[in-house]
Amino acid sequence: MAVPIIMPRQGQSVESCILTEWKVSIGDEVSEGEVLAVIETDKASFDLESTSSGQVLALFWEEEDDVPVLANVAVIGTEGENWEEFRPPKSGSGETPIAGEDKDSSPQEVSLVTEESRTPEPGELSNGIGIAAGISPRARKLADRMAISIEDLQGTGPGGRIIERDIRSFAKKRPRLSPVAAVMARENAMNPPFRGSGLAGMALGSDMRRPGAIEGAEVEPVRGIRKVIAERMMKSLSSTAQLTLHSFFELTAVQVLRKQRLEEGKPKVSINDLIAHGLLEAIQAHPEMNAHFLGDKMAIFEKVHLGVAVDTPRGLMVPVVRNASDLSLEDLSGTIGKAALQCREGSLSPDDLTGGSFTLTNLGMLGVETFTPVLNAPEVAILGVGGIVLRPKRLDSGEIVFADFLPLSLTIDHQAVDGSPAARFLQTLVDHMEKNPGGKLSQPKEPQP
Amino acid sequence: MPKSQIVEPARERKTGILSFGEIPLNQYKQDIVREKQALGSEALLGIYEDMLLIREFENMLQSIKTQGSFQGIEYDHKGPAHLSIGQEASAVGQAFLLGVDDHIFGSHRSHGEILAKGMSAVRKLDDESLMEIMTSFLGGDCFRAVEKEGSGTVRNLARDFLLYGSLAEIFGRENGFNRGLGGSMHAFFPPFGILPNNAIVGGSADIAMGAALFKKINRKPGIVISNVGDASMGCGPTWEAMNFASMRQFHELWDESRRGGLPILFNFMNNFYGMGGQTAGETMAFDFLARVGAGVNPQMMHAERIDGYNPLAVVDAIKRKKTLLERGEGPVLLETITYRFSGHSPSDASSYRLKEEIEAWQAIDPLHAYAEELIDAGLLTEDRIGEAQADVTEAMTKACRLASDLRVSPRLQSEKIGDLMFSGRRKESYDSTHESELLLSAEENPRVLALAKKSRAGVVDGKPVSKNKVFQYRDAIFEAVFHRFQKDSTLVAYGEENRDWGGAFACYRGLTESLPYHRLFNSPISEAAIVGSAVGYALEGGRALVELMYCDFMGRAGDEIFNQLAKWQSMSACILEMPVVLRVSVGSKYGAQHSQDWSAIVSHIPGLQVVFPSTPYDAKGMLNTALAGTDPVIFFESQRLYDLGELFEKEVPSKYYEIPFGPPAQRRVGKDITLITVGATLYRALEAADILEQNYEMTCDLFDCRSLNPLDYDLLIESVRKTGKVLLSSDACERGSVMQDIASNISQLAFDHLDAPPVVVGSRNWITPCAEVESDFFPQPSWILDAIHDRIIPLDGHRMTTNPTTGELLRRQRAGI
Repeated sequence: MAVPIIMPRQGQSVESCILTEWKVSIGDEVSEGEVLAVIETDKASFDLESTSSGQVLALFWEEEDDVPVLANVAVIGTEGENWEEFRPPKSGSGETPIAGEDKDSSPQEVSLVTEESRTPEPGELSNGIGIAAGISPRARKLADRMAISIEDLQGTGPGGRIIERDIRSFAKKRPRLSPVAAVMARENAMNPPFRGSGLAGMALGSDMRRPGAIEGAEVEPVRGIRKVIAERMMKSLSSTAQLTLHSFFELTAVQVLRKQRLEEGKPKVSINDLIAHGLLEAIQAHPEMNAHFLGDKMAIFEKVHLGVAVDTPRGLMVPVVRNASDLSLEDLSGTIGKAALQCREGSLSPDDLTGGSFTLTNLGMLGVETFTPVLNAPEVAILGVGGIVLRPKRLDSGEIVFADFLPLSLTIDHQAVDGSPAARFLQTLVDHMEKNPGGKLSQPKEPQP
Repeated sequence: MPKSQIVEPARERKTGILSFGEIPLNQYKQDIVREKQALGSEALLGIYEDMLLIREFENMLQSIKTQGSFQGIEYDHKGPAHLSIGQEASAVGQAFLLGVDDHIFGSHRSHGEILAKGMSAVRKLDDESLMEIMTSFLGGDCFRAVEKEGSGTVRNLARDFLLYGSLAEIFGRENGFNRGLGGSMHAFFPPFGILPNNAIVGGSADIAMGAALFKKINRKPGIVISNVGDASMGCGPTWEAMNFASMRQFHELWDESRRGGLPILFNFMNNFYGMGGQTAGETMAFDFLARVGAGVNPQMMHAERIDGYNPLAVVDAIKRKKTLLERGEGPVLLETITYRFSGHSPSDASSYRLKEEIEAWQAIDPLHAYAEELIDAGLLTEDRIGEAQADVTEAMTKACRLASDLRVSPRLQSEKIGDLMFSGRRKESYDSTHESELLLSAEENPRVLALAKKSRAGVVDGKPVSKNKVFQYRDAIFEAVFHRFQKDSTLVAYGEENRDWGGAFACYRGLTESLPYHRLFNSPISEAAIVGSAVGYALEGGRALVELMYCDFMGRAGDEIFNQLAKWQSMSACILEMPVVLRVSVGSKYGAQHSQDWSAIVSHIPGLQVVFPSTPYDAKGMLNTALAGTDPVIFFESQRLYDLGELFEKEVPSKYYEIPFGPPAQRRVGKDITLITVGATLYRALEAADILEQNYEMTCDLFDCRSLNPLDYDLLIESVRKTGKVLLSSDACERGSVMQDIASNISQLAFDHLDAPPVVVGSRNWITPCAEVESDFFPQPSWILDAIHDRIIPLDGHRMTTNPTTGELLRRQRAGI
């Protein structure tokens, strides 16, 4: 008895399979489980196995045909049996089922297409995508009349040319414009919302927004320093391996020094100035922290060119104190103060904003306790200073007292520096700030091997 | 009827010798006393004066061309001047006996003939007639310029008028005889019987023959002379004209009342040189040009060589030949030998001939020789010669002064040329005084009776009517032609197989029964003479309908279509009309030389109206329009269409109607794309339109560009503005087809509205292959769809079978195919 073989359903969402290759021919003897054909979906390739034994009486499809699932693909039976009833209905998609003896007399004569006849893709000479593929004068005129920006459209004409229907289909996706809105769109390049507030969703003049506008938000363009910062920060995070270590140092020695200097009538130095100075001292013991990581090489600087982050009305700026390691505490303090002032006034030369080898940033005065500074790449380290916190400490006597501490956050580029050396650098700095702030590093430490 | 002319094998195969008679050479014997008695002293003196006038005129032009001045009048004439110094006697002798009803057509070297014929008319017309002609011609513009300085008699004034009108024409001035649009080589003046001269060598032969045909058919008085040079004997159309004019049917088949040859004299002014080529000794075979007459007909065209150096010999010859022609014994071939002292043109240094040869002919200068004869006969004195010379110099100086002065003789504003390209009038008949001659009335005509039984609608109850029962395209042609035959007695139709056969495509079947031979006849297979004679027929005042059986044969009539038919209205400032309809049948199935659509070629030529109706309704209406107009119309038909019924209009009305030229016919109304076709391609575009609608949900505006020139773009542009997409298709080879021109104009007229470049689908730039594979050559519906898909708007799911890509377009252009 002749048995049809169907195209199995290869999953719930599969509607058809491509018949990639026939493994049998009409007249072949096959047994159940034998592979008749190779089929594939968009996800995988499968073997189509015979569900019956006997002779192959008919094969209804040609290789590369897209066969609907559950359609009959072949008939297995004994020679001479009628299989015509199993012929699948001709599909509307142009495929031509073939069958046994009928193959040669197929009226379609599809094979008569000569070699020269070919089916090139529309617009062989594609000019590119989007507006680069061209726009018809009619489409341009229509876009102008309908106040549609053509920049982001993708054309469907020959070679990707933007043609009239592309404008119209875009227009369907947005509300109709009131005359005022249309003028605003055309003359001020303003866009309507997805749905306007007028009748039937018509966009009124009041609905029109600048391109990129966000409802309930004043949108400002990103430009100038903001743009530079954005780019630098993004680059920093994407090109470095940042690791932040946190520590505290007891502020007592610093407080004592500042009080003492005040009594002695010496110029006032800020806590930040003292940290900057201490930093310079600590770097002497850990020169690898004063470096640039350049991918295939490292640049370790002889002197420290200290970047000091300054908050200005225009955004974060980092003036660089060149050769800071050569300066006395007083000079360092003065230079930092002056640079910060110039930054806020906007009078600093652009040259003074580049060329740093290590950066110091301080958010302590804004009540921040600790934070994770972002590297000023390609510098390998940045030190963040937090706000004063009151912490208990155990005296040698075992007594527990409270003292002021200052949090330090050291972010390093782990590509260039490992965690332990960085921790030792931080330790050196803490130690120095607690023991001899404003002075020379008492115990320069050699970097550990 | 040819059936009455049996081609008898016995006669044709009989042994024998064909012998020729004698051709006289210079047989005239001078006898001044006899001529004095016959013609009168004044007339003999007049001949001298006219020769002197011509010599002065040509010398003046020679002086202007080579020295930039004449008699102190400085002028730079940039145009041509082909002078006839030395040839005066032949011109004056010829014109002497001619009346204003005798018409001459000339060549590029015809100043002398114009003046001679003009002076002959001036001497013959009375004062009243002369004044009437002068004051009415061109609204009196030419006359007013000479009138102020007019001196003496009306005849003197008329001479001034002739000199000034001719010279102003040569100088390209608005007051010239043809508004300055003809110039030196095309000047003419119909009121004096001077018809167009022609810048194409031999160009006048077939035109003059057509004029003679008009005179014969319409029984007009006078003869026609074709004045061409000896070099014209090398031109095919000249031979065609001589054969056409000698057709045996004039003697054998035409009505008793019109039996006899055409009243035409083919006069060859033999000055022995065609430019620098010496005809007798170098470029021709005839030795004596008159010999050619022996080869044309049994009468040997009454050929004769006469001495054009002796005006009285020419007078004698014209007298004898005119009598022959008026007796219906034409045509006549006359070889008038003469010699030009000057070169072909002022730039010709005569390097091809010996100084001694020129001197030998100058030694017998006809002007002086004739003067001496008159002196010897006591008719002329040296004093009188001096007076005559002073007189012509004075007249010439005046004419030159007036014609060169831009205040007196302004140029025509160039923009006005546009208004003069077409006469644009409508004339029911070119001779309303005569009834049309019919052998059988329309009511009794067998075809009219047969057509009454046909369905004038192509579709009845939604079904196409069978070809046997439907009123076809060829029937529409018949009705329009027959209508005009009944209205205009001057209308004639001829071409190849026009009469008994009914035209190769049966358009004229039935006309034979109603029309006498002289209104409908078979011409020789001489396309140049067919078209050229129609031109002459029209210039002479009649309406002609001629036919080229295949468009491909237009090449054979190239000059006649491009230079003659197209240009004479405008070169005459529309003094002349050109009511000629040239039916041209576009073939198929017959290969490379019988299947071409050359509508682009004639559309390119200024001065032609070009139409290509593709339905019976349009065929009748447009042929009616063409046959009622005054302009030359190239009327294309397609052999694919002759058996089609009317599918668009309700029916083809049996009553008379006209369809104005210009607007295209809209065959479909749609919204998505504009299709424009010419000719039979319409029907394939309709198939494409159906597929677009059924498979791709696109509807078409489909226009049938039935009128190519003039073409009213309004409807087309309105449509393209709506759809933004346009494809044009015709059976003409794609490169340079008229579709490209229309596409280019649409690009400019609707640029901002275009959604894709206008796309032209034409035939391949190949030869037409054999009928079985013509579909690889002519545009097919699939080509149209593929081109839309690839170049205008991708059609969802469309599979292309051709390669319409721009890459392929580039490749083909690069390969020149």
